[in-house]
Amino acid sequence: MNNQDKNKTTKSETKIQIDYDNINVADIMDQIKAKIAAMPKSTPEPIPPPQGLASPLTPPPDMPPEAEGGRSKLKRLLLKIMKPVAPLIKLLILPVHHDLTETIKTLDLTNRKLDYWSEKLDRDLYRVNETLNTKIEEGDKTVNKRLDLAYDEIGRIKEYTKLLHSLSHNVVVELTKLKIEEEALKMKSRILEKDFEFLGRRERALEDQVFK
Amino acid sequence: MKIAFVVQRYGLEISGGAELHCRWVAEHMQKHWDVEVLTTRASDYITWRDHYPKGDDVVNGVSVKRFSVAKPRHPEKFGRLQNYILANEHREEDELKWLEEEGPQSPSLIRYIDEHSDDYDYFIFFSYRYYHSYWGINAVSQKSILVPTAEHDPVIHLHIFKELLRKPQAYIYNSVEERKMINTLARNEHILGDVVGVGTEVPEKVFPEDFRQKYDIQGDYVIYIGRIDENKGCHELFDFFLRFNKDTSSDLKLVLVGSNILKIPVHPDIRYLGFLSEEDKFSGLAGASALIMPSFYESLSMVTLEAWALQKPVLANARCAVLKGQCLRSNAGLFYEDYDEFREALCLLIGSAKLQEALGQKGKAYFDRNYTWNVIENKYLSVVDKLEKRK
Repeated sequence: MNNQDKNKTTKSETKIQIDYDNINVADIMDQIKAKIAAMPKSTPEPIPPPQGLASPLTPPPDMPPEAEGGRSKLKRLLLKIMKPVAPLIKLLILPVHHDLTETIKTLDLTNRKLDYWSEKLDRDLYRVNETLNTKIEEGDKTVNKRLDLAYDEIGRIKEYTKLLHSLSHNVVVELTKLKIEEEALKMKSRILEKDFEFLGRRERALEDQVFK
Repeated sequence: MKIAFVVQRYGLEISGGAELHCRWVAEHMQKHWDVEVLTTRASDYITWRDHYPKGDDVVNGVSVKRFSVAKPRHPEKFGRLQNYILANEHREEDELKWLEEEGPQSPSLIRYIDEHSDDYDYFIFFSYRYYHSYWGINAVSQKSILVPTAEHDPVIHLHIFKELLRKPQAYIYNSVEERKMINTLARNEHILGDVVGVGTEVPEKVFPEDFRQKYDIQGDYVIYIGRIDENKGCHELFDFFLRFNKDTSSDLKLVLVGSNILKIPVHPDIRYLGFLSEEDKFSGLAGASALIMPSFYESLSMVTLEAWALQKPVLANARCAVLKGQCLRSNAGLFYEDYDEFREALCLLIGSAKLQEALGQKGKAYFDRNYTWNVIENKYLSVVDKLEKRK
């Protein structure tokens, strides 16, 4: 393989070497798999804690703070000028103004309460998440330990089963041998019986000849 | 020699799968044999409802006999029955009931095959899983040749198919993996068979630049051609592709061609072009950096062969044994099992024009060696010759 033919690509190519004259897909795929295996495994990003977790939670306000008015000089001047007609203005605008002020106050209060509860919810969720993560990690460890034990047990049972299998195989072989031996002995005894009978008959025949 | 090709649907409008495979083979084999196609009147593979007129027809010079479908398929009922069969203990009668629902239920076609078996020398059945193949092979098993077009589909494990797969006189497989799967399932290694597949023809001239202009596609793109369906792995493809572009800050485009069943994500990097003419399809394929085949189940991917015929590399789903096997045998495509492999393989492919070219050349050589029509026709002739010599 010519070195010039072996090319390295950028980024992903720093590791994967390809012989372009003699492409081998299996080899390329093996290199890709090896590269992936060598990569650090991405872990899920931890959830960032809610901002200001360390600081104490500000209690929800009962009343909104008094709004600080700017341009107070101008305001005072205007009030002075308007003083003669103030009763009339009050008579016409006061109910609406009063309502508006009340509504703004209520809205402001609600907003502050919402902010408070939202921050509280964030903090609680973060705590729940932390607790869950800890429990999951503990659970994982326990499960892994149990799995390891179970694998060991399975391994032992496998070995035991193999031994049992081997034993039963040997027993079958021995029994077969014994059976064959038994058959051979039976056959021998039958032959001996027949020989014995034959000798008996021969004896009787000889006796007949002798005593004739 | 008179040969009948028996298939579930047949027509010019049917643009994929075993039906197109059958049509192409029938059209090419008519110069060697007296070919007749026996099929149903259905055109829709979901309901099998009668569509074509009854009786004799001629399609691209091939004579076709069409038989009525007695009962259209009820997709929901069929789905329920299939789920039941696959998830529960059941009897053979249940499987036969499933087969009836699977369809296309055409007893007149089976009767014709049975009554006219002497008129034909051999019957070549396409797709093992349908009514016509099961009852047809049972009727004329001594003259039957099966092109199973089998995938790693759970229904292949049904008991009725185990018996069926031992009955044909010969097999024409699409891939080595298909042969291995069927042999393992049915223990039918003794039956004559050959890995053949199907040929394909690509236009002599393609116009990738015209394609880019016509569809306003700029920059590099990869292409998927086929039915845009969850079963074809498109959902996973969208997910992987968008993650790839995000992770690598790539501006690669994904061009989708074919009929759409799945919801396609609205994204500037994904372009859906719909169903295209053959000319546009090949031009689009020729202009792409690679073809992506995300399908989990394939018995033979014709579009993969077309890509190789055009010297284009393929990135395939390794969980489909056939696609992975084809890539390894041809040395013309990379494959992936998960997102990490998808990212690395695609990065490598689009980052190196030299690699694209080298893989493309290997693909072309593999195509010329195995999938030109001359090779395919000779393999079909050889299978029938061997059967004749046995007589």
